[in-house]
Amino acid sequence: MAKATQNPIILIELDHDTRQTQFDRAKTWFDNVLLTQSSCRQLVEDTVEKIEEPHMKQYLAEMALQEREHEAKARELFALIGREPSDVRQLLGQVAGKARQALGDFIALAGSAKGPWQDLHQVYLSNYNSMGAFAVAEQLGLALGIPAIVDLVFPVIAEKSTSQLLLKEYVLEMCSKSILYHEGF
Amino acid sequence: MPTNYAELRKNTGFSIAKTELKTGTALGPELQERLPPARPLLDAADVVVPEGYAVEAVMAGLSFPTDVDIAPDGTIYVSEGGSSWPTRPYMPARVVVKKPSGETEAITMNVQAGPRSVTWRDGELYMSLKGGYHMQIVKYNLETGELKVLIDQLPSGGWHEPGGPLFGPDGLMYFGNGSVSQQGVCLPAGFTVDLAKHPNAHDVPGQDVTLTGNNVRSRDPRMPFPYLVETGAFKPFGTPAQKGEVVKGELYCNSAVWRSRPDGTDMELLAWGIRNPFGMAMNEAGELYVSDNDFEEKGERAIANDPDRIWHLKIAREPFGTVKTPAWYGFPDLCGDGLPVNHETHLPSRGTPAELLLENPPEWAGPAAFLEQPHSCMCKMDFSRSEAFGYKGELFVAEWGTLAPLNSPRPEDLDHGFRVIRVDVEKGTAQPFMHNQKMGPATAFGSGGIERPVSCKFSPDGKDLYVLDFGVDKVTPGNMMGFAHTGVLWKISRKEAQNG
Repeated sequence: MAKATQNPIILIELDHDTRQTQFDRAKTWFDNVLLTQSSCRQLVEDTVEKIEEPHMKQYLAEMALQEREHEAKARELFALIGREPSDVRQLLGQVAGKARQALGDFIALAGSAKGPWQDLHQVYLSNYNSMGAFAVAEQLGLALGIPAIVDLVFPVIAEKSTSQLLLKEYVLEMCSKSILYHEGF
Repeated sequence: MPTNYAELRKNTGFSIAKTELKTGTALGPELQERLPPARPLLDAADVVVPEGYAVEAVMAGLSFPTDVDIAPDGTIYVSEGGSSWPTRPYMPARVVVKKPSGETEAITMNVQAGPRSVTWRDGELYMSLKGGYHMQIVKYNLETGELKVLIDQLPSGGWHEPGGPLFGPDGLMYFGNGSVSQQGVCLPAGFTVDLAKHPNAHDVPGQDVTLTGNNVRSRDPRMPFPYLVETGAFKPFGTPAQKGEVVKGELYCNSAVWRSRPDGTDMELLAWGIRNPFGMAMNEAGELYVSDNDFEEKGERAIANDPDRIWHLKIAREPFGTVKTPAWYGFPDLCGDGLPVNHETHLPSRGTPAELLLENPPEWAGPAAFLEQPHSCMCKMDFSRSEAFGYKGELFVAEWGTLAPLNSPRPEDLDHGFRVIRVDVEKGTAQPFMHNQKMGPATAFGSGGIERPVSCKFSPDGKDLYVLDFGVDKVTPGNMMGFAHTGVLWKISRKEAQNG
């Protein structure tokens, strides 16, 4: 067995000031995670109500439940670096979710689409945005050397990635009914 | 601005400058408090070395370090790899400098991925770099800040690493370049990062070869729907080879080792067929040794029980400029033991068994000087030159450690590596020199010992061995994750030397 360390060890970017500065910067990103996730959750919840087709309605309702859990996970991120979330950003996210619905209506009108397809299309984009925000948080966890961040967000990214495949399928499958037939579902 | 793809894929140099580095010092309880949660303990007492030697940690908090060198005045240079293993997240590509006064600074470069080695020579740092479609060897003048690209056209952009540069007693520069493909054919390989960044990268042979046309069938993850493609040897992913097709050998190839004048001119190909020549060392007699890593037991061209190996490149004895035919060490068709990849002893227990790719393989230049347990991941290495340290003439090798269960399903592979060994290159035997009390990475069992040794280098006087520990890479059956600020530089000395 070796002798114990005697001399002071040089620490690279592990001093108190550097760490706290980087935590502050990570916190501002985590606020973005919360904002994009609140927006996505709001949009999914509203879209469920607009869809009549039973299978899609069921899958999206399950997704809405997951989105609430993801939002709770986003709030948990802050404690891992000793910070508090910004409630203003969360509120902004919900407003942004409503705004995306309006944007979807505009795109649908301009692109000759009818029914809830435009909402589904916005959910597809919003989930992608939110998934990306969580994925960046994961990278920040790796860069800061904090496994708890990675452990928290990895399952969220995995669920969102699975949802993204499902949303892509629905958006591509149902576009013809919405654009060519001008029918809802 | 270039107007064709080939021009766009060339390296164009990069900015590099000395920058401030945020550092502090700590000891005892304060040290443990400052360490990141991914590596919460650091304790030299948990490291095992032979009786009569002492270990101490010199630096901690390094991010994905790749190599270390020490100048004659005692200044320590540690390269941090930028994007390394795995490629996410990118941390600043730089060289951390610790002067004998204790003062620190960084030499930071705006390049992706980043430096894979650092070699001090006459006031200049020589570095090999990964990133883009071609690896680079550059030198940086520590006084003037001038950067010169010495070697710039070696095909890269895939899985394996550059080797060297090192300088022999003959004053020549020796360097290597690993294969693009992991398993002999460009495949998704579980990580789509190489395909995402360099979809047109491929292996290039060092001699003319005729292909068997045994293509490998796989899914193309770049396509929006499940999409099956065939890929041949020495082809970009998704491009099949034809039976009897001849691929021309090139001076600018990969899985290869060269030498040149120190300014990069008069490049001479010494050997190819070396999958990953990341570690290179030359003994006092000028004999060149190169470490090489084994095939993996997974995926669409799976190969089992391939030993890690150290090749003795006897061809380097030939006078400079006289090598007409390079030596061939087996990649992509032979394992480290010289047996073909489809031999019954190398049939995989998971994945698709490999088929041969070369119809007319060159003569094999083996056997290896030393064979090691599969997936030990032998990396950089150095010869002991001093009786003061001991084991003079033996080769010290850093073993990064296995990626099992990701790259092998075999329980016996789970603790291979994670240590420094000393190899008697004449006898082909080795002994562990530095390891944890329990084999494996320290964080796997709550110890403050070593994680993944990536490089080891003796001080210029030969009295101290510096071991660079890459830090924490967590591996599961499905993925791997690297945590920054977990790298450590260790120093090993003889106790008698310490006492004066």
